[in-house]
Amino acid sequence: MKHIVKILTLIMTITALWIGLLQTSMIPQSHTWLLPIYFVVSLGCYGLLMVGVGLMNFRTCPQEALLLQKDIVEAKEYLKQRGVDVSTI
Amino acid sequence: MELADRAVGFLLSVISLSIFTYYTFWVIILPFVDGDHFVHKYFLPQEYAILIPVCAGVAVLCFLCIFIGFVMLKSKKKAA
Repeated sequence: MKHIVKILTLIMTITALWIGLLQTSMIPQSHTWLLPIYFVVSLGCYGLLMVGVGLMNFRTCPQEALLLQKDIVEAKEYLKQRGVDVSTI
Repeated sequence: MELADRAVGFLLSVISLSIFTYYTFWVIILPFVDGDHFVHKYFLPQEYAILIPVCAGVAVLCFLCIFIGFVMLKSKKKAA
């Protein structure tokens, strides 16, 4: 709930600033009209960057994988002793 | 596999950073540069700064809708 309030406040502030810029026409109108699209593009770039960074720093655990394989073999042995066949599954 | 993922991640980061830098230059800094400066040769006219993102957004939206439709059709066939 808190997060969405933050985001909404940010959006409201940016909109207010943008409308103010439009009204005062400090810089030419045609350039002010570009700002929302600029924000959308930068948001997209941010998302893409976060996905890229997340993919780059994606943690793989080779040791855990080895342990898991060992566990599977152990469980299969245990089940075989009890007469349950899991090799075909 | 791990290396390929890393390369894809690096590529995505580089692409996003370069798009961001180029677009920032185009939209924010270029209006303050004189019209006959040589930098203007490397950028398309201002109208394309709106046209290209809108077209790209529409294309991505269409692709997403088609993809979701395909997935729904597939899952329906599986359930039936």
